[in-house]
Amino acid sequence: MAMEGKRYVIVGGSAAGMAAAETIRRLDPGGSVRVLSEEVDAPYFRPMIPFLVSGKKSPAEISLQGCGPYQAKGIEVLLENRAARIDTGCAQVVTERGESLAYDRLLLATGSRPHLPPGIGGVSSDGVFALRSLADARRTALRAKSTRQAVMLGGGLLNLKVAFALLECGIKVTLVVQSPEVLSQLMEPADAFLVRDALDQAGLKIITGRSARQILSNEDGVNGVVLDDGAELACRMVCIGKGVQPNADWIDPRQIPVNRGIVVDKYTRTAAENVYAAGDVAVTFEPITGAAIITGLWTNAVAMGRCAGANMADRPTAYGGTFGILNATQVARMPFVSMGIVHTAGTDYETHSRSSPGAHRKLVFSADGNRLLGALFVGDIARAGLYHTVIREQVRMDDIKKQVIDHRLHYGHLLCARRYS
Amino acid sequence: MTEAKEIFVRLDRCMACHSCEMACAVAHSAGQSLYTAISEKPTPKPRLYVEWVAPDRAVPIVCRHCEDAPCMHACIAGAISRSPAGVVETDADKCIGCWTCVMVCPYGVIGRHLEEHKAYRCDRCPDRETPACVNACPTRALIYQSATGYSRSQRQTASRAMLAGNGG
Ligand SMILES: Cc1cc2nc3c(=O)[nH]c(=O)nc-3n(C[C@H](O)[C@H](O)[C@H](O)COP(=O)(O)OP(=O)(O)OC[C@H]3O[C@@H](n4cnc5c(N)ncnc54)[C@H](O)[C@@H]3O)c2cc1C
Repeated sequence: MAMEGKRYVIVGGSAAGMAAAETIRRLDPGGSVRVLSEEVDAPYFRPMIPFLVSGKKSPAEISLQGCGPYQAKGIEVLLENRAARIDTGCAQVVTERGESLAYDRLLLATGSRPHLPPGIGGVSSDGVFALRSLADARRTALRAKSTRQAVMLGGGLLNLKVAFALLECGIKVTLVVQSPEVLSQLMEPADAFLVRDALDQAGLKIITGRSARQILSNEDGVNGVVLDDGAELACRMVCIGKGVQPNADWIDPRQIPVNRGIVVDKYTRTAAENVYAAGDVAVTFEPITGAAIITGLWTNAVAMGRCAGANMADRPTAYGGTFGILNATQVARMPFVSMGIVHTAGTDYETHSRSSPGAHRKLVFSADGNRLLGALFVGDIARAGLYHTVIREQVRMDDIKKQVIDHRLHYGHLLCARRYS
Repeated sequence: MTEAKEIFVRLDRCMACHSCEMACAVAHSAGQSLYTAISEKPTPKPRLYVEWVAPDRAVPIVCRHCEDAPCMHACIAGAISRSPAGVVETDADKCIGCWTCVMVCPYGVIGRHLEEHKAYRCDRCPDRETPACVNACPTRALIYQSATGYSRSQRQTASRAMLAGNGG
């Protein structure tokens, strides 16, 4: 009797879904891999979409398959095909088109979407964007052509990236931030001064401690924003960057438990047989405390997707979890890396902050000073990956603490520190 | 297919002369000579690093081109891939300088061209028979060999040492 190949079905064709598909292709060449995607575009590097707005990249240049680690052939991607529900009893996914796809292994990798805070009126007007997909980026780019002033609501990384894309188009950009300072998720206000200076110098106008109450519009779409203090900002475009929420609403929680995100075990398995989940849609965990967390990180989505792929191909692989904060970027000539625990106000963590011209860093240790829990580097981010390793592996500080605090750690120290293997 | 070669480090042999760093920087300069490299802008940079661990140990650190390269999987731009020869390569055209690779590299060997806003790394000198750093090392602390060949020679060295009564 001929052996039938395993049927793998993946819902969502982005970081987690495609990383899983790639892994499965490598481990089980005999199986069939089908990826359902609701998008019109073939898989792409989602974090690159601001470059479409600025015009620096074309959609073809940010396409995923054939780039980086995504080299496998024989992955069938079904575009504009949205999964409507799962029949776990019959092991089938039912699409919105009414087709049924039978699976031996199913991965839920439907990611997340922008969170639109309820308190703002007029969010459905033309010219209001919450950038998530390539299609969103195309619409934003189109509107940008006729826009001279834009208002961004939210001071997170996404909005900063989009803000710079718009600045590059010659648009005047005002960023409205509810928190006392930009990037409040990634650093405390006292640690953000260098980034803030760089943003100010780059010509971004920033209003902190304020939120939007109402988006105004006329027949042309958006024409202004009213803030909570009554101030009115004229603009032709509004971008909302207020975090994301998992696309788990289509899951029937009686079949597959959902706690904001889809709940999985250490092997990325959901409670339903042969059904796995990974990426922004899944609940993952923080490796040191084991706390359940939901993240919006490409790195986590890829790592978890690869892990799920291996498990689906019958190579049991435990997922190691992720820090809730694991971000590197450069905004306005100012690079920074933020990882692990970097918010220390009101805690008893041992904290070492140092500033020098053009650079600032903060190293956060456990209260007893024996473990590194988090690191923030602004300006000088050299060898940040070593600190990442030190936090993750909980390397003892005995021999290396001074180097860690001084930002002079190199691999030789770890190699020679006996306790590191 | 022949097994791809890698750069191995024999820690006990490094004298911290930094010849490898110099040779690497020159090999990655436009002019390809020490005299022109000195005045080139941006300044040619080495892609491996000889570090010092007190009291007396020099440690050359070079990209391992890791099997499960964390940089490659983390890259948000698809700029890092593995060549057929097993070399993990950064495509400068695709690199957007977000430094995610720097954040995840456990060896700290990914450098940053600040002027060009691009990440760079060891490319194992694709146009040379032997990487420049290996050629330049006067004590043969850097070895360019296949993993199998290297472990075989290590075993032979160890057994010779044992026969000579030197221990390990
Ligand atoms: C502009 C921008 C910049 C970013 N920068 C960074 C960064 O620098 N570093 C970082 O770590 N992260 C970054 N991120 C976050 C990162 O892109 C996400 O964490 C990552 O894409 C999550 O991958 P995923 O596969 O879990 O889900 P997603 O990328 O969200 O993909 C899920 C896919 O599933 C589809 N889908 C949803 N429901 C269905 C359904 N029912 N049927 C079929 N298809 C469905 C969606 O349309 C989508 O295509 C950025 C995000 C954006 C938007």
